Amino acid sequence: MDSTIKSEPLVAVRGLSFFRDGRPIFRDLHLTVAPGSVTAIMGGSGAGKTTLLSLIGGRLEPHAGEVQVAGEVVGSLSRKALFALRKRMGMLFQSSALLTDLDVYENVAFPMREHTRLPEALIHHLVLMKLELVGLRGARGLYPPELSGGMARRVALARAIALDPMMVMYDEPFTGLDPISMGVIVKLIRDLNDALGMTSIIVTHDVAEACTIADYIYLLGDGHVIAEGTPAEMQKTSSPEVRQFMAGLPDGPVAFHYPANEYMADIRAEVGS
Amino acid sequence: MSAMTRVTAGIQRLGRRAIDGTNRLGRATLFLVRLVPGLGAILLRARLIVQQLYMTGVLTLVIILVSGAFVGMILALEGYNTLVKYDAQSSLGLLVALSLTRELGPVLTALLFAGRAGSALTAEIGLMKATEQLAGMEMMAVDPLVRVVAPRFWAGWIAVPLLAMIFTAVGILGAYVVAVGALGLDGGVFWSQMQSGVSVTNDVIGGLIKSVVFGFVISWIAVFEGYDAKPTSEGVSRATTRTVVSSSLAILGLDFIMTAFMLRGL
Repeated sequence: MDSTIKSEPLVAVRGLSFFRDGRPIFRDLHLTVAPGSVTAIMGGSGAGKTTLLSLIGGRLEPHAGEVQVAGEVVGSLSRKALFALRKRMGMLFQSSALLTDLDVYENVAFPMREHTRLPEALIHHLVLMKLELVGLRGARGLYPPELSGGMARRVALARAIALDPMMVMYDEPFTGLDPISMGVIVKLIRDLNDALGMTSIIVTHDVAEACTIADYIYLLGDGHVIAEGTPAEMQKTSSPEVRQFMAGLPDGPVAFHYPANEYMADIRAEVGS
Repeated sequence: MSAMTRVTAGIQRLGRRAIDGTNRLGRATLFLVRLVPGLGAILLRARLIVQQLYMTGVLTLVIILVSGAFVGMILALEGYNTLVKYDAQSSLGLLVALSLTRELGPVLTALLFAGRAGSALTAEIGLMKATEQLAGMEMMAVDPLVRVVAPRFWAGWIAVPLLAMIFTAVGILGAYVVAVGALGLDGGVFWSQMQSGVSVTNDVIGGLIKSVVFGFVISWIAVFEGYDAKPTSEGVSRATTRTVVSSSLAILGLDFIMTAFMLRGL
């Protein structure tokens, strides 16, 4: 692990600031992802985790700072160069984002058909290989609405690795799954990462699962990294913010209440009007 | 004072609406400009356009055939009723053919197409956006403007003139059935009046130009509204409604303008 951290990072976020509707999402965010690692980016809902993936994938541009992927500054690339870079990244959306007018087989074949001129027989082999990896070779003829949430996510995973990317980004891969499907996804992410030599970035708020598979964890809050470390370090930390998050306490440094006026003053104001 | 502020608020609302409208038109135009390279690129993958042509064109065929037949039959009844007062019922074939080729064929087809296929296009693209399918494509380095929007745009544009021609042809046949079958007009007179009175260059080509323009405008509005829709259920439903309303208004407005130009040219 130490050796991978010392090598050149695959993803480097430096001094990133991003605003949405004037509201700051990130302020001076720094983080790096070592090649070959599974890095978990954690934070509460609304901490900008998904936004961060969009910034890494070049779907949004930072207002300050830069995002580097494989040595290229994402925001400064031409559309063509950006698309070339994206062919080397896979992304698993929370909603799976499968194309509903295509069956499972065609969904996995989609990136190959769009980006390669491979003969049909080879595409057939490749698709079946990818589906075998996620255990859904038998479901190739089903359409996305016929799949359970867990199966859809596995198909999306097979599609994300269709072009053998250097890295896969997972947006909330554990959300809304039953325990068995969750276990399957956790195992798949780790196994694929190690077997295919990929780098994985997982955005999640599931503490237990992230601790099981991540090599390194970043905890985001208030627009920047509030804590980072290996799962063991994160569990042991004494920082109140981290402990609140890792233990799932309803109140603490992250307040239970959305910012509001003083309670009694608010009630009187309602009555008065 | 309060009346004054109400007037000011009204003017402000009007101004905001005008600015919003102009803003939207600007964004739709920029969208079209961004779409142009995709329109060229997708021609190499004609299969995708043919697929969409089936979805938008062929599946709209039933409503076009039925409406066309009824419109023709009604035209025959109404036209006969008026013409017979002047003993001019022999011109019925001409009246029907001119009405259909110049106006009713292109305009009614476009209105029906906007309601049947334009709304479906908007809803489909809007839902693809809402379910992150478009974002997913972008992350797979596939440009949704080329892969999703361009084939649908072409299909809509091609389908409308073809459907308008079918509408007109079926309408004339419907009128023939009523005029000759029910009203007892002479079939030979019906056709020969049409043949001598309808000009290919002015009437047929004029109608064709109209339907090409309508096809372009409906497709443009439909794909723009879908692509621009807020990715929520409400956003998609609003976008679908806007497609039908804007397309219908654009069709009628453009029809007036084009008719004015074409009549001046005669």
